[in-house]
Amino acid sequence: MTSRGTPSRFLKSVLQNGVGRYVCQLKRLTFVFSHDALTSRGVRDFIEEKVVDFAKQNPSVVVYVTPQRCDVPKLTAEYLNGNMKEEAINCKTADEIMELVKKMVNQSGLDIIRIRKSYHTDSPSIQGQWHPFINKPTSLTLKSFEKINQGMEANP
Amino acid sequence: MASGLLGCRVLSAFRLLSVSLYRSVLFTQNRDKKRWLRPYLRQLERKRLLEGPPPPTPRSQQPNWDYEAEIQAFCVRLHETFTMDLLKTAFVNACYIKSEETRRQNLGLDKQAVALNLKNNQELSDIGASFAHTYLTNCFKDAYPEMPLEGVTAIIAFLTNPELICHVARNLGFEDLTLSSEFPVPQNVLQCTFNAVLGALLQSKGPQRTEIFIRDFLITQLIGKDLFDVWTVVNPMGLLVDELAKRNISAPEPRLTRQSGVSTVMPLYFVGLYCDKKLLAEGPGETMLAAEEEVARVALRKLYGYTDNRRPWDYFTPRQELRTVKAVNNN
Repeated sequence: MTSRGTPSRFLKSVLQNGVGRYVCQLKRLTFVFSHDALTSRGVRDFIEEKVVDFAKQNPSVVVYVTPQRCDVPKLTAEYLNGNMKEEAINCKTADEIMELVKKMVNQSGLDIIRIRKSYHTDSPSIQGQWHPFINKPTSLTLKSFEKINQGMEANP
Repeated sequence: MASGLLGCRVLSAFRLLSVSLYRSVLFTQNRDKKRWLRPYLRQLERKRLLEGPPPPTPRSQQPNWDYEAEIQAFCVRLHETFTMDLLKTAFVNACYIKSEETRRQNLGLDKQAVALNLKNNQELSDIGASFAHTYLTNCFKDAYPEMPLEGVTAIIAFLTNPELICHVARNLGFEDLTLSSEFPVPQNVLQCTFNAVLGALLQSKGPQRTEIFIRDFLITQLIGKDLFDVWTVVNPMGLLVDELAKRNISAPEPRLTRQSGVSTVMPLYFVGLYCDKKLLAEGPGETMLAAEEEVARVALRKLYGYTDNRRPWDYFTPRQELRTVKAVNNN
């Protein structure tokens, strides 16, 4: 499929975030992991070593930790705009999970689709929109009949 | 054939016996192909299709929900410090108390246990709504002194209409915390909650923080909006004539200044408005009438100071400080 056929949007933020004040868009993180499976080893390390520090540094994110029988440990992120993102974190080390979590904290929660332009402005032009008459002298609207008059004089 | 039937009957009788006589035997093995499974799954699927998706459940009824932690995080997220009791009261709606009490009554609790000792947010909501209204009115009157009262009220009506407030509240995570009888939370309940949170902030932190809150979350919604998107003016030329008469300027005179492609499907006319032989504004249009209306709008924007290239709204200094700085400069 060509890129034009894929869903796309313009660059935007949720509620003009950052114009007044910055609001961290991640509201909830849920770790679901098994307390003995091998695939959850990285998550267990992460929870032992890093999750408390992370929660202290980001008090605006509520972190839930759920040990439960599962083969594939999951990390679920919920964003302020209502979107939910679930990522499988099996066979990942604690550092990799930390990176993933940091990425999630910095995201806005909007769908990750093609962005049409890498810039956006709410006032497209300061000087006004272009039109065919821009920077044209006003004298263009005046018509001179000198040549016609001369022609008339030459061939009466 | 007959023997087969007989065999079946005997078998089924035996099975019945096994269940009724020996309670401890829970499972009888059969190894035939499970021909009932496909139709059963198909029926389930059909049922799911007929019923549609299940109704949405509030986040508080899904696993992993800690109200205390969520409310704490809510305060930190918005960079505000609320008095906790006030904030919790702000999220309690009257409809929630009513529905919860009837639910308890239906469960057969006695009257003392039924009563929820909760205050609803009506009072806070009234305070918050009136504060927001007065602040926005003062704010826009200060920012656009040339604008008539109808314009200011139109902008405020845009900023305080339930749809916009609900959009803001939903994107700030109010919906999860709101205690309401219905889900998804109805518009009026969500608006009431938003106003109540404003009221709670006003009571716990004073007017200045509340003003900054309103500025950061409501006034930012005006970004990218034209004056006439917000304010519907049916006859801009009439309004312009009135405004000019108020300012003792002679009546405007529309003149066709430029035109292009008149005989094509995309004609373009430029109309200029002249007052005392001076160009007041110039505007384009596909027909002369459209251009004339557009030029009236352009002139009105210029008069009111709401042009596209105006200074952006100041989101850095609080309004109060700005005013004092101005006063100092004037002195």
